[in-house]
Amino acid sequence: MTQKRHLPPAPAVAGRVLDAGLDLLDRQILDPDAVPVSTVDDLELTTPDDLEHLDPDSPPIIESLLTGPILLTRIFGGRLPDSRFIRIPWKVVADPGTVVRVGVAADSLDASWTERWMRDHVIARIPGGRHDPE
Amino acid sequence: MKGIFAVALGVLTAIGGFVDIGDLVTNSVVGSRFGMTLTWVVLVGVVGICLFAQMSGRVAAVSGRATFEIIRERLGARMALANLSASFLINLLTLTAEIGGIALALQLASSIEPVLWFPVAAIAVWIVIWRVKFSIMENVTGLLGLALVVFAVALFFLHPDWSALGSQVLLQPSPHTDETPATYWYYAIALFGAAMTPYEVFFFSSGAIEEKWKKKDLAQSRLNVLVGFPLGGLLSLAIAACATVVLLPKGIQVESLFETALPVAQALGKIGLIIVILGFVAATFGAALEVTLSSGYTLGQFFGWPWGKFRRPASASRFHAVMILSLVVALGILFTGVDPVQVTEFSVVFSAIALPLTYLPILIVANDPKYMGDEVNGRATNFFGLIYLGLILVASIAAIPLMIVTGAGA
Amino acid sequence: MILSDLLGSPVVTAEGERLGVVVDARFALDGPPDGLLAAARLHGLVVSPHAHESFAGYERRDVDAPALIARFLRWRARGSVLVLWPDLASFSDDVIRLRPGATLYSPRFDSSES
Repeated sequence: MTQKRHLPPAPAVAGRVLDAGLDLLDRQILDPDAVPVSTVDDLELTTPDDLEHLDPDSPPIIESLLTGPILLTRIFGGRLPDSRFIRIPWKVVADPGTVVRVGVAADSLDASWTERWMRDHVIARIPGGRHDPE
Repeated sequence: MKGIFAVALGVLTAIGGFVDIGDLVTNSVVGSRFGMTLTWVVLVGVVGICLFAQMSGRVAAVSGRATFEIIRERLGARMALANLSASFLINLLTLTAEIGGIALALQLASSIEPVLWFPVAAIAVWIVIWRVKFSIMENVTGLLGLALVVFAVALFFLHPDWSALGSQVLLQPSPHTDETPATYWYYAIALFGAAMTPYEVFFFSSGAIEEKWKKKDLAQSRLNVLVGFPLGGLLSLAIAACATVVLLPKGIQVESLFETALPVAQALGKIGLIIVILGFVAATFGAALEVTLSSGYTLGQFFGWPWGKFRRPASASRFHAVMILSLVVALGILFTGVDPVQVTEFSVVFSAIALPLTYLPILIVANDPKYMGDEVNGRATNFFGLIYLGLILVASIAAIPLMIVTGAGA
Repeated sequence: MILSDLLGSPVVTAEGERLGVVVDARFALDGPPDGLLAAARLHGLVVSPHAHESFAGYERRDVDAPALIARFLRWRARGSVLVLWPDLASFSDDVIRLRPGATLYSPRFDSSES
């Protein structure tokens, strides 16, 4: 049943406001040298203690950005076990703009594991892999 | 000299869109069957690709984001994945055709069987992607690809009936044709789709980032678009016109590059043939580079990998791994003996899906001040952009039924 | 809990009326510092009776161009509301229930934010 109702504006917030789906999901993550880390594929939030009786004073907070295989479960359904999450902790996020910037080098994050593997085991073994193009 | 090379990116992108192996043969087929009556489609296509390449180049220069990154951000992961799957298949099929095309062009030059050229071509493409700087790659292939201008030269030497050609452009069919309307519209959509193939904007916008274009380079971006794509369209039309003049009256069927080159050989003899073969090799090689890099760009940008030829391969490992894999698979498909040019017929199907899913997000982001600051689209750009979006939707809906009804233009 | 658990979940008022599904989650960075930024707390959920996913957020932003697309997407997302965290009662069996007397807010961003 759709009625045209005039909705009051939401109360103001003393800080930045982000809509997760609009501003965070599917965004590129860059490190301080503008090296791509990964994309934001999902968000990990703290779980409320009692889901049947939510506590109005303890809203969930973002613990980490998630990337990797969780993209498939997000699109196609299913649930990835927690142990398989690839996390980028909220602590290292420096700026969630059109690009999400983190404050640590890409290589130091779990999320760059496949890139490092491909580099060390495949590409670096091909002659010229470590040289700048000319 | 700098002047010519400043538009190399636009020219190379246009080569992949207007004179890759599929187009070399299709333009010739169209000229030999429909005369110049499909010229209007090429013109509509040129305007469309100019409009959207210009938008995506602008978005890349101002926001630093390449088109596929934006597709995921604005359309969401699900639709972007659909686009990625379709685009990846298009790229793979087209790459197979281009490697095949390089081999066919080399066969014209050497009389050596294409099958022996396949691995040579694939490895040559890989080496250029692995080691050659982006700017050198685009300058050399762009410049050599312009050898195809020989078709325009040949046209003059063929002393055509200009008024007959002119009346065909204005939709008076030639007395030699007797095609059905369905086939006419199938080729119309095929030409339109070829002019606006998504990998052109993926390549152009990623190339803009490879070239490190910034806001101050917007004029250069515009120049690339306005020189490159119309030039590509002109080359297309020249090839069709030559076929109209030489092949159509005799009812010669175009089955390979040989028939495509025939008018030039007839008009300009051996010298013309050498130049045209050089043009074929350069154009198919350039298109192969463009399509291979597009595969890497789209996958890398969807998943958020480090990408780009400006990085050393070890710093963009998955990007390079994907491209190597694509070349290997393309080679494998070619060794099964399939006709490389026929292979591109099927990419029309996937284009139907990829076209709207590519151009809608470009239009949306080009209007978003968060990405563009005050370089958002003007009203005229939006007006034409929406019209073209409508045309693209029509083409994408009609493509598959027409393909079935006409047996892919038989 | 992950974000996808929330997105797409139906939202029901205390009286049992179906409000729609969650199309987005709004976070506010107004808490104590958590690393380089403030902690991001869940401020509220954007619920829409029609769209299964919000598309490019036209209903919440001031971007008006291209005109046809903006109008179409705003129409598709008509009726979306923002419900704040304190008004959520429970999240179980994949359904979010609101408290009695929950207030429905407009999901539009104040142009002075972000």
